[in-house]
Amino acid sequence: MTPFELLEPQTLPEALALLSDDDAGIRPIGGGTALMLMMKAAVLAPTRLVSLRGLQGTLGSIAMTADGALHLGGLASLSALEHSALVAQHAPVITRAMTHLSNVRVRNVATVGGALAHADPHMDLPPVLAALDARVQIAGPLGTRELTIDELISGYYETALKRNEIITGVQIPASAGRAAGRCAAYLKCTTRAADDWPALGVAVSFLYSNRTISDARVVIGAATDRPTRARAAEALLSQSMGDATTLQKAGDALAAEVQFTTDAQGSAAYKRQLARVHLGRAVNAALAQT
Amino acid sequence: MDAKVIKEEQIGRSVPRMEGAAKVTGRAEYIHNIRLPGVLHGKMFRSRIAHGRIVSIDTSAARAVAGVHSVVTGEDIQRLIAEPYYGPAFHDQPVLALHKVRYVGEPVAVVLATDPHVAEYAAGLITAQYEELPAVFNEVEAATSPIHVHDELKPAITFPDLKHLKGKRGTNIALDYKLRRGDVEAQFASAAHVFEHEFHTQHIMHTPFEPFVALAEPMDDSITIHTSTQMPAYVRLEIARLLGWPENKVKVRTAWLGGGFGAKVYVKIEPMVVALALLARRPVKMSLTMEEQFYVIGKHATTFRIKSAVTADGRISARKCEVFWNGGAYADIGPRVSQKSGFTSTGPYRIEHAQIDSAEIYTNLPPAGAFRGFGIPQLVWAYESHTDIIARALNIDPLEFRRRNILREGDEHPTGTAMRDAEFEEVLVRISARMGWDQPFDRGTGTKRRGRGIAIGVKASIAPTTSFALVNVSADGSAVLFCNTIDMGQGSNTSMAQLVAQVLGTSSERVRVTQADTDVTPFDMGTLGSRSMFHMGHAVRLAAEHAREQLEALCAETGIEYQDEHSIAQAFRKKFGMQAGNIFGVGHYTSRYQPADHDTGMSKEITPFWMIGGTGIELEVDTETGHVTILRMVNVVDAGRAVNPRVVDTQISGAALMQMGATLSEEMVFNEGELTNPSLAFYKIPGMRDMPVAIENEALEAETRSGPFGAKGVGESGTFGVSPAIANAIDDAIGVRLYSLPLTPEAIYRGICAARGEPLVD
Ligand SMILES: Cc1cc2nc3c(=O)[nH]c(=O)nc-3n(C[C@H](O)[C@H](O)[C@H](O)COP(=O)(O)OP(=O)(O)OC[C@H]3O[C@@H](n4cnc5c(N)ncnc54)[C@H](O)[C@@H]3O)c2cc1C
Repeated sequence: MTPFELLEPQTLPEALALLSDDDAGIRPIGGGTALMLMMKAAVLAPTRLVSLRGLQGTLGSIAMTADGALHLGGLASLSALEHSALVAQHAPVITRAMTHLSNVRVRNVATVGGALAHADPHMDLPPVLAALDARVQIAGPLGTRELTIDELISGYYETALKRNEIITGVQIPASAGRAAGRCAAYLKCTTRAADDWPALGVAVSFLYSNRTISDARVVIGAATDRPTRARAAEALLSQSMGDATTLQKAGDALAAEVQFTTDAQGSAAYKRQLARVHLGRAVNAALAQT
Repeated sequence: MDAKVIKEEQIGRSVPRMEGAAKVTGRAEYIHNIRLPGVLHGKMFRSRIAHGRIVSIDTSAARAVAGVHSVVTGEDIQRLIAEPYYGPAFHDQPVLALHKVRYVGEPVAVVLATDPHVAEYAAGLITAQYEELPAVFNEVEAATSPIHVHDELKPAITFPDLKHLKGKRGTNIALDYKLRRGDVEAQFASAAHVFEHEFHTQHIMHTPFEPFVALAEPMDDSITIHTSTQMPAYVRLEIARLLGWPENKVKVRTAWLGGGFGAKVYVKIEPMVVALALLARRPVKMSLTMEEQFYVIGKHATTFRIKSAVTADGRISARKCEVFWNGGAYADIGPRVSQKSGFTSTGPYRIEHAQIDSAEIYTNLPPAGAFRGFGIPQLVWAYESHTDIIARALNIDPLEFRRRNILREGDEHPTGTAMRDAEFEEVLVRISARMGWDQPFDRGTGTKRRGRGIAIGVKASIAPTTSFALVNVSADGSAVLFCNTIDMGQGSNTSMAQLVAQVLGTSSERVRVTQADTDVTPFDMGTLGSRSMFHMGHAVRLAAEHAREQLEALCAETGIEYQDEHSIAQAFRKKFGMQAGNIFGVGHYTSRYQPADHDTGMSKEITPFWMIGGTGIELEVDTETGHVTILRMVNVVDAGRAVNPRVVDTQISGAALMQMGATLSEEMVFNEGELTNPSLAFYKIPGMRDMPVAIENEALEAETRSGPFGAKGVGESGTFGVSPAIANAIDDAIGVRLYSLPLTPEAIYRGICAARGEPLVD
């Protein structure tokens, strides 16, 4: 690893001022769990790191907003999410996903902002948040903007973020919360060891009443080069009862509509099969919580 | 350390690990933690091509970096050591690449700097030009390929059975062990049944959590090497040979090892740090990263073709084995693996007609060498899968088929050595009893199918080898054992202390074991191949007996009755008028061995003892994804008498779980010789959540009459049966037979698809 400058601003404006859209050598750093590995592997050799740790006090909170949305601070640690009573109440799918995300040492320092900005397609949090219609709040020198996960993560390790922007938080709208009757589940499927990057992540969420599914979201992670909505599968699930025949059809639709990638976790053909099977399992897991 | 005195028998006592507290409180010494004034850190520049002639190496940019002390290449090493090639079997490995590179990742140059980050950065600025040569990677292809990794074979003098390879050109075969017994072809022609299969294993890495680390400290007219090695005496010998120095000018010392598993045997980075330190005239330390370990040493990938003739009543009458060991670019101890394990390729069965060809083969991949099990797991994988296929094809219960053919006391192994103290059948009996093999078994339903399987393997000990030990009894009756057996986590210090205490009639807690330091700890061949409890155990026993004779004489002379350490202390005080003096007991042991005949591969005494291990597996397969859950793992070994039952138990489970990783997930993946997954993020060893739901271990109540106090080695036996037991259980569950490791969910799912005639289309 080559030497670099480490700056530790204490406020958002200070932090923003230290970043630059023109200089690829300058990077914000949250928990550093992804960044430091890339630097050790010499994939990245930044000249300046702007630590966001000093903003944890202001941007690390987890709270309900006035309109009933769940707000996750961009600097909240993943273990803060895991242990938050608010998260467990409004989006228990996140609580459960956290326990199988990486390990406790990483979760203790890794941040929500880092988990979104890193954009490794194998990350667990993006598909979960996408299935909950989350909106990502971003601050830049000219002000703030909001993006969906789909807009934020534009490709393989690629985001719509500018180099001088910071993710300040994520909002999960009230309509996606438990109180609104939304069920959700995330299944992570690993193929080499239990603690591993997933070969496939399947996040589902839907409304459920009168034993009928409606407004379904299906988002695939890891098996694709970015979190990917499976709209044909969603359409089949919506207005169904989540019965075995529908799940099978939806699984087939999903297998047909999504572009799977081959990598160290498995071939595209195998991941397609995993997706076909895990969609039904994810829906059943979500239904089991109703 | 005034531990409570325990008067009971020391053998068979689960004495708590002596270093346990120091390790869990972070106070145990490791070489990584040594800081020396003036030390230079070395970082390597490695080859990015698999095979080529070095045209030029440009180190100018690296030299220009502020803080760089020097940049060293193979030619610089040659100024110090004219023939800078090392290796236990062949003098084939250059300290730094000379003239040629032979695998991706081979060290080509080293940058020295006081700051390791500076050294690393500068190493990244080195470039090299090569004239690329065609490369060969597969072991079967390399056996007959016109592409040769080495121009000429250069066997070291150490092993007489390699002499005939001296000066040989135009080959990649670094050892060709042959066994010829009876007439296999005649049996194949006339047998009721003939079965033939080919099995494969993958290249894997040892993954000790302490990567290789060594620090060389040049002194006035000698050199001290602090290193994480399993073989201090050999390091001393090989460094002295390279430098042309007497052995006593080379001091090699170790601290605790954070795992070895066979990776740290013979020499690894020691020649490099020594040469660098002597060139720089300063201490030089090299600490490899986890990623770099993949380029140092691994476990042989193999291809094993096996063919058996079976009589109408289910007896194996002949077996032919052809084993190709992928040794990588440098032989290391690979030829020993392919011979010492090779001669057991027919398995633990009574087979009248046997033929083995076991060849160590050079390829353009990172070197392969000793790895917990020393080649045996690769062999058992094949012969126990094959054995199971035969049993199922003949409709004979797999357990019954094995019992019908298993070697019994007094039977002749195909090599001609009679079986002694080798409880094969009892191992099978205990596994099946624990599993309730004769009871009905829940086979699961729907997409969750259950199956069970067993497998058993045998290993010979490396022989002949020698151990020396020295026991120093102080005037208060406490003792220090000086021995070179390296405790790398297996608990050997505790067990060795027990042997001393048993002989002296004191308690194990009153015996301390030193870390290896070749200036004071006597010679030992090395800590590998489960040889230490047998060989060093004998040497320690003899040293303690020698001390005891002298102590008894001292007591007799002073008129004190010899009882325990208190009487010893009294005798010393009476003799010397105060608490003063020492008694030194020395002992050494060399195992009995008769070399295998070159043409027939046979010997009446091919091993001083046999190691036996078997595993039973119950598992569940998810037929929609190929995922396997191991519900139960039963490991039974014959370890002779357990000196420390708790240590034996953890050795069994540790070995079995390590092999489980090699079975299910671990694989070094190469693309044209380039390793694509050199990191723990992409090379997956099992974690806590991958453990079998239930695991049971048993060491038989057995005795090795030739061993110290009836004991023998147990570090590897738990590995033997694991892979085929899992594959056999998968076959039992879903009727899918797999021939290549690892048994990943995808491989299993593809097998399921193929079996129903709908192969998974990419
Ligand atoms: C051993 C290990 C195992 C892992 N296993 C898993 C797993 O199973 N599943 C999983 O999902 N993940 C896993 N991860 C990845 C982990 O989730 C990420 O490393 C982590 O979420 C990144 O967060 P961080 O705060 O540490 O980011 P950093 O490393 O600090 O930064 C990552 C990237 O995000 C940028 N960045 C950071 N914060 C912000 C911000 N607020 N605004 C804008 N840009 C920002 C940085 O510039 C950098 O490009 C694993 C990581 C490790 C080390």
